[in-house]
Amino acid sequence: MSLEKFIEDFEEAVEDVEPGSLTATTKYLDLEAWDSLAVLTVIAMVDVEYDVRLKAETLKASDTLEALYAQISG
Amino acid sequence: MGFHFCVILCIVSLMAKSSFNHVQIGGVVTCVPTLEKCIDDELELFGGNEKQIARLKKTIGLDRRRVVEPGTTAADLCETAARRLLAQTGLAPDAIDAVICVTQTPDYAQPCNAAVLHGRLDLPKSCAALDVNLGCSGYVYGLWLAHMMVSAGGCERVLLLAGDTISRIVNPKDRGVAPLFGDGGSATLVQRSERDCSAWFSLETDGKGFDKLIVPAGGQRSPSSAETLAEVADEGGNIRCQENLFMDGAEIFNFSIVEEPIAVRDLVEYAGLDLDAVDHFVFHQANRYILSNITKRLKIDSAKVPMQTVERYGNQSSASIPSAMCGELQEVLCGSDSKRLLLSGFGVGLSWASVILDIGELPVCEIVEHSGCN
Repeated sequence: MSLEKFIEDFEEAVEDVEPGSLTATTKYLDLEAWDSLAVLTVIAMVDVEYDVRLKAETLKASDTLEALYAQISG
Repeated sequence: MGFHFCVILCIVSLMAKSSFNHVQIGGVVTCVPTLEKCIDDELELFGGNEKQIARLKKTIGLDRRRVVEPGTTAADLCETAARRLLAQTGLAPDAIDAVICVTQTPDYAQPCNAAVLHGRLDLPKSCAALDVNLGCSGYVYGLWLAHMMVSAGGCERVLLLAGDTISRIVNPKDRGVAPLFGDGGSATLVQRSERDCSAWFSLETDGKGFDKLIVPAGGQRSPSSAETLAEVADEGGNIRCQENLFMDGAEIFNFSIVEEPIAVRDLVEYAGLDLDAVDHFVFHQANRYILSNITKRLKIDSAKVPMQTVERYGNQSSASIPSAMCGELQEVLCGSDSKRLLLSGFGVGLSWASVILDIGELPVCEIVEHSGCN
């Protein structure tokens, strides 16, 4: 479990995001591809890969991928 | 004191699980409207974003749905299904001892749909009639009530009608719900049987989540007014009024994939079985994404899980489980071998309910189309 792996998983979960295009400081809420469908696919990815039930509120409240990862791993 | 408290706790924790024998399903018919809509034709709703439609089709599995024309109600669909069921089982109306109607889109605030349909179907005065105000979990709740009514000895045959016209309460400009929901009405015969046929039920609720899937206004808490009818755009640009259905998609998704696998495992354990003993798992047809996530979490063979119904007809609320039985398991359920099914519904309430039952040799298990004239 690492931030790098999480960013890769995130890129895979959200379609229309180029692999390798996101970084720890990416503000994912500002991504063009971020929509209600991405919310579902990220929740499902986090559930399967990290065994964490991520709330939609947490996704809305976090800012960067680093901050989101901290919520999941913490 | 401590002992009594413990006893009360034990009783409470066991109450929503129950088992029955010598009660069986004697036939199922589901009625769908003829009007078909397809997400491909709704480019305008998605602001011309073809890519988003393609993603929704691929990821969530949204495709086609059947919806009623204005003027047709869930009661009409249920009536058509019931008439076909009675005709195919050769039962006269006076053979029915009780009618249960599960719906959240009744014809009237009062009286209940069951009473209205009791009259339309010429059921006898000796027949009990009641509605159940539940959605996607409602079919299993209805089966549970019917099993209790037969087991209690007062009824030989119960007619369970379950259906909704959710397409009439979603705002067509709300992308979050409009492409999801279809309409349907079903009729199921539940009857006493001399044969050994077990059924195990579990029924659960989380009322704290009542506002995650809700029509906020139009009832007594917030009566209909100009304000409740005013259309407002949310942060995602979806438009609805307070008398339209609202769904917090992410929360409902989370609820489904967390609670459903737990409920299924608990029920299988309660029945003293294992997952392999179940021939088919018929989940509420919410959407393919939720169904495949639940299937994965349970590690069950996806070939045992009907998933096509929602792509053909849309999410049909309380009619979705009978619709999947009729549309995808007709051959199996009308065959000579009895099959063990697990049916499980989840949704508005929040409410979820599951049953494991043996079913087979049905004289009728089919989907019919609503002709538009009852």
